[in-house]
Amino acid sequence: MKKYILMPIVALFTLANVAAQDFDTAPTIQIGSKNNDAQFTIGARMMADVAYYHSDFTPLKSGAALTDARIRTSMKFNDWYFYADFDFSKGKFKQKDIYLQYSWGESQSIKAGYFCDPSNMAGNTSIGSYHFISRSAATRALAAGRQLGVAYKYAGEKFFANQGIFAENLYNDQLAGFQGVTLGGRWLYRPINSENNAFHVGINARYAKITSGENYQGVVKTNVTLSTPFETYVDTNSDFMNAQVPWASDVLNLGFEAMYVSPKFFARGEYIYKSIAKERDDETLFKNQLGTEWSWGSLASWQAGNPLKTSNFHGAYVEAGFMIFGEPYRYDSKNGIVGGMRGKTLEIVARYSYTGLNDIEDGAYYFLPKDQYIDEGMLLDYPASSKSIGGGKLHAVTLGVNYSFNKYVHMLVDYTYNCFERDKYPYDKNFHALQGRLVFSF
Amino acid sequence: MKTKNLLQTIAMSLVSFVMVFALIACEKQDVTNIDRDAASIETKHISPEMARVRDYVPDMAVVAHRGSVFWVPEETEAAWRWAREIGADYLESDLQCSKDGVILANHDDNLKRTTNIENVFGETVPETRVQFYMDHAGMTKAEAEAQVKADRLSFTPFYTKSYFYEELMMLDAGTWFNEDMPEQAREAFSTQKQYVSSLEDQIMYAEGKMLKRDANGDRVYTLTGTWDPANPHTSLKYTFEYVDDPQDTGNRPGIYLEFKESWLNPSNFEQMVYDELDRLGWNVITAPEADNTPFYVNGKVNVGNTNGKVILQTFSWESLRRSAELYKGQIPMCFLLWHDQITPTQYAAYIDIAVDNLSHIIGPSIAGAPNNYFEMNAPWMHDMIRRAGLLNHPYSFDTMEQMHVYFGDWHYGESDFAAPYLDGLFTNRTELTLQYMIDKGLRHPDAAQKVENASACLDRLGY
Repeated sequence: MKKYILMPIVALFTLANVAAQDFDTAPTIQIGSKNNDAQFTIGARMMADVAYYHSDFTPLKSGAALTDARIRTSMKFNDWYFYADFDFSKGKFKQKDIYLQYSWGESQSIKAGYFCDPSNMAGNTSIGSYHFISRSAATRALAAGRQLGVAYKYAGEKFFANQGIFAENLYNDQLAGFQGVTLGGRWLYRPINSENNAFHVGINARYAKITSGENYQGVVKTNVTLSTPFETYVDTNSDFMNAQVPWASDVLNLGFEAMYVSPKFFARGEYIYKSIAKERDDETLFKNQLGTEWSWGSLASWQAGNPLKTSNFHGAYVEAGFMIFGEPYRYDSKNGIVGGMRGKTLEIVARYSYTGLNDIEDGAYYFLPKDQYIDEGMLLDYPASSKSIGGGKLHAVTLGVNYSFNKYVHMLVDYTYNCFERDKYPYDKNFHALQGRLVFSF
Repeated sequence: MKTKNLLQTIAMSLVSFVMVFALIACEKQDVTNIDRDAASIETKHISPEMARVRDYVPDMAVVAHRGSVFWVPEETEAAWRWAREIGADYLESDLQCSKDGVILANHDDNLKRTTNIENVFGETVPETRVQFYMDHAGMTKAEAEAQVKADRLSFTPFYTKSYFYEELMMLDAGTWFNEDMPEQAREAFSTQKQYVSSLEDQIMYAEGKMLKRDANGDRVYTLTGTWDPANPHTSLKYTFEYVDDPQDTGNRPGIYLEFKESWLNPSNFEQMVYDELDRLGWNVITAPEADNTPFYVNGKVNVGNTNGKVILQTFSWESLRRSAELYKGQIPMCFLLWHDQITPTQYAAYIDIAVDNLSHIIGPSIAGAPNNYFEMNAPWMHDMIRRAGLLNHPYSFDTMEQMHVYFGDWHYGESDFAAPYLDGLFTNRTELTLQYMIDKGLRHPDAAQKVENASACLDRLGY
């Protein structure tokens, strides 16, 4: 307990200490052409996180990590805009945004390349301006991330629509099969829309056709993994909240969202529902298992022993921030999101999130030693394949204090309580995380 | 000046960040520690009623695994007579079922390793079956031939459930041992025909009997009733005959019966065993022994006259559940474990399943040559079993080295958990185990304090 009291005090001391410093520079390197119709920029961002975890049973690895090390560059020429962003954190190269955008009029643009699927609000908010160290577990488990594709965006005063078509695999390097295709979009209505005062409600949807997978007994076996760490980037263990969904075929995300922004306060939230329909070449699999003493005798009996059903998951979060002093919150009308901290600012933030990766048949019996559900509800030596998926359930509450020294340097401190429940981990219930982040961006 | 301020801010930020981290680093960080994790887990605990039945079982019970697999052909008359005479507390067996409902003992899924079935019957329906149907099903020859033809269509060779017990009595369950274990071979294992034993045989050996044989050395029995495919397990009745074993020295061991995988046996197999124990007077639910009957009397094993005379065991989850429903925890039950790379969480789950399904004993595998099974009996595992109120009967011991390990003499002697790491054991070397326990003072003072030479014992028994 002492640790939980001591840590925020030290963190606040740290903030106060550094707050005495100030600077104001324009560090972004900008090179413009003579008549200003072309502009080239280059920038960088660093995030260093430190985290202390405390858990009931399975320990997480406390420590520090360089969680973000980016180099970004852009080129603007008249209505054309090119952006590329590369991450080298944790010593590995990771492809980030790289796209070409063409804009016309005040509100329309088309973008092609690799960028965030438009079908959720959190994913379209840069982690550098997110107000929390991590996006919610619900978002990380259930929402889409970057995709390769093309999107059209309309950002009018009252209405916002952003939708696109994407490939399921960035490099077409799946083991077998066509890489699949995704359609996603986000549509908002904004009765209030000004720079420092806004309110929007919206819906979003995403459909993905999964066709890539591994060769399994003569057929392509598709699989979708839904997982998330405990709203942290220092220990990114995603074994706890983890659902493996075999034979995934059609993935549908439906969601709704709302956001309110005023100069000193913002609140936003999303609900995400994910439905994964399955498809399997039963006839081929049945035929391939014939010819042994233990073969299923008929297709119907094989299907009865290996049933399939659509799996459903859902999650939601609500986030709010209150600015104690500093630059007022700003609504980014072009993207339907709230902007990050600017200038010397102190704010407090809070979040509740729920992530549900369980889809368990009523009355199913869980046999923990083999991590196996028996849908018949009792101990059997040879039960039918289970339709149940027990990926875990997580309630997470985060309280945070963020301080921005100036528009380039921020510090975030978050405490997160994770209330976890999963049959596979009966002794892991409570995970506490105290985290700090230093952000430098130009 | 602005550059200087920028650098100062960055420096101060970094310093502060490092200070925070340093403070955190001073805290003792948790890492996974299997002993500590295991000790922190609270398992379910058996009820007082279950503990009463648990205490039917003698402490440090020596279970003769399949009678013996080292000295004699397993699960035969020779094996169990030897085990009884050498002083085992229990004669262990693996129960399966013949086509006509005789409960019998066979370890493997099939009979190929431990009998000459491949030579006698091959992969087809026994040729003698036509005559069998004529003699025991009231069929004409034509009807019997038609029935055999029908049998062939669904025949699965080498499984006990595919054969009438009279057919299985044609098999030699002893000669294979002489070929596989030449150093322990004895001519008598072939000349004194060793049969695929029935449960009744096993019980009779435990009671000091042996098979009654005719002048040709064949066992004596009668078969009555008329075969009825609609009632395959009850329509025929075998009456086996036994005689007092002249070499019986008075040990009365109990029996330790395993329900094999559920697919090998009828779905009511547990009920069949219940009824057979009842018929033979070994069902302590319906025919309990007097309380406080001693496990040892005048240097002789007396477990077979106590309420601990029968222990049930299984690996099968399904059989475990069905046994709980039928026996209701009133006969000691052992849940056998087999699992690679197990975690404390998984181990605790097995124990909870055992408690939920009215078990009294956990039977974990042990590591070490010659079998090199999974290690399921580390000290923390034993501790977890005992904290649940269960007994620990690990399987199966072949060497003194294994006994030194699990009795805590060697590697585990410095463990946080007190040795020994067992409450009884399945052994393939009953004579070694008994001598080891006597030497350590672990054998009950009323039990024999001397072990007969294993080979001499076989000589005495006529092998």
